[in-house]
Amino acid sequence: MSDSKGSDKSKKNKKKKEKEPDITFFHPELLEIPEDGSPAYLKGYKCKKCGQLDFPKLTPCPSCWGTDFEMVKLSRKGKLYSVTDIYIGQPGMKTPYMFGYIDLPENLRIFAQMEGEIGSFKCDEEVELTTGTIRTNMDGLPVTSYKFTKPSV
Amino acid sequence: MKMQREVFIAGVGETVFGKHNVDYDVLGRQAAFQALQASNIDRPDVVQTAYVGNGLNGMGAAQRVFRDLGMCGKLAIIRVESACSAGAMAVYSAIKDVTTGVADISIGVGCENHTMHRATGTAFAMGMDDVEGMQGAVMTGKYAMRANRYMHETGATIEDLAMITVKNRKHATNNPHAWFKGDISVEAIVNSRMIAYPLTLQQCCGISDGAGAVIVCSKEMVKKLGIEKPVKVAGAVVQSGPYHNRPRDITGDDITESSAQQLYEESGIGPEEVDIVELHDAFTIAELLYYECLGMCKKGDGLKYLRDGQSTYGGQCVFSPRGGMLSYGHPIGASGAAQIAANVKQLRGECEGYQVDPIPKVALSHVTGGGLGGTEHAACTMHMLTKAW
Ligand SMILES: [Zn+2]
Repeated sequence: MSDSKGSDKSKKNKKKKEKEPDITFFHPELLEIPEDGSPAYLKGYKCKKCGQLDFPKLTPCPSCWGTDFEMVKLSRKGKLYSVTDIYIGQPGMKTPYMFGYIDLPENLRIFAQMEGEIGSFKCDEEVELTTGTIRTNMDGLPVTSYKFTKPSV
Repeated sequence: MKMQREVFIAGVGETVFGKHNVDYDVLGRQAAFQALQASNIDRPDVVQTAYVGNGLNGMGAAQRVFRDLGMCGKLAIIRVESACSAGAMAVYSAIKDVTTGVADISIGVGCENHTMHRATGTAFAMGMDDVEGMQGAVMTGKYAMRANRYMHETGATIEDLAMITVKNRKHATNNPHAWFKGDISVEAIVNSRMIAYPLTLQQCCGISDGAGAVIVCSKEMVKKLGIEKPVKVAGAVVQSGPYHNRPRDITGDDITESSAQQLYEESGIGPEEVDIVELHDAFTIAELLYYECLGMCKKGDGLKYLRDGQSTYGGQCVFSPRGGMLSYGHPIGASGAAQIAANVKQLRGECEGYQVDPIPKVALSHVTGGGLGGTEHAACTMHMLTKAW
């Protein structure tokens, strides 16, 4: 076995590749925020062969190995199955933050951050989709994505 | 796995768990050397295959463990990885070699040094390419959601959860291998720093370093080595966790339930016959849920089982007699192998100061691994051991 440490010093002079900017939206395949101002929605994917609906998209369809899908707008409201307030989080993430499991009528469970007051969410309450900042990216910019919150009406 | 021929444990080793200033390979070697000596092996060319469970300590980790033992160059050394289940999976792999006849004697080692390799104060997280990871998921939070749901459904309180830590730390009081041990009050546990509601610091396994090693062999080899107290591997199971993106009950645990069922069927030993259990008590809630998942009590009766003292000395089955992960900490690659080492020592009556009385005859170990987006656990490894002398 050879020790690879320090063996690539000679390659250091190579021209550095231009760094691509990190994402600020997560993710076009999961979430749509329409430009006309209509409410955002999550995107489910229905297998054209067997009809199974998944979120996030799984390729191929794990049920029949179909590879053609139809995008389905998912319900914006669901039931909060469980939730927690995080005080020691992922490296670099500002605490406290909250996440939970949201069960949608389409028989799908969504894992998402919650928007609202820490400690204010309870199991089995109704919650609604919203969008907001979920974290900061490698360039220090906010990443926008889906979140759930108390219903507006 | 379906056993092709009988497999026995000849010897085991485990380091002290805690914060170490020597790396994973030194720890792994210490545990392996103990296990070799306990198996009456006195030279480097006896063991025929080797498996090393390690999570995060870099490439080529497995071979480094055996370098100073003079074993490199004499046998195939393979690393296995499944996050927290890796150490048990290494032992499983060694058992597989012996039961199929690939080898007559094999070693499984689990070793990990976390504290030299990562900053404290941060929680384990999944990869960024996973949708849950991107949303800020951490393992503590996933267990916290199980706890919140369990409390919501059963009326259990944080004080109830804290009782698991009290019990396991008490079991570890005189265990020289354990890190956090002795008396701690429910109040101190509940009032320790909040990590992920309702899990406080003292309800979470510590980030620690350590190693365990297990030598398994055939019946002929038991005789050849002159092992006085061979422990039989009555069953060994590895399963992968099913993918979920639909509503399900997280107060249960599908992979633990199905792995346990397979283990009971293949070993012919039911939950009522098990004397001691080391399980994945990485967080208090886990042990509570697993009483039910392992079939030790009925669904929904876990809390009663704990309150009635069924999981401690004098109860139906002593859970975490070594103190569990809540006392050892949880070096992810090491824990599974260390659990098996601890169970073997209990069966042999070698645990001075923390020996279960009467000396157990049947021991079970359970460890899950990982938490990929959608799966509660990526893997689950379980072993059933029985006294065979
Ligand atoms: Zn399909």
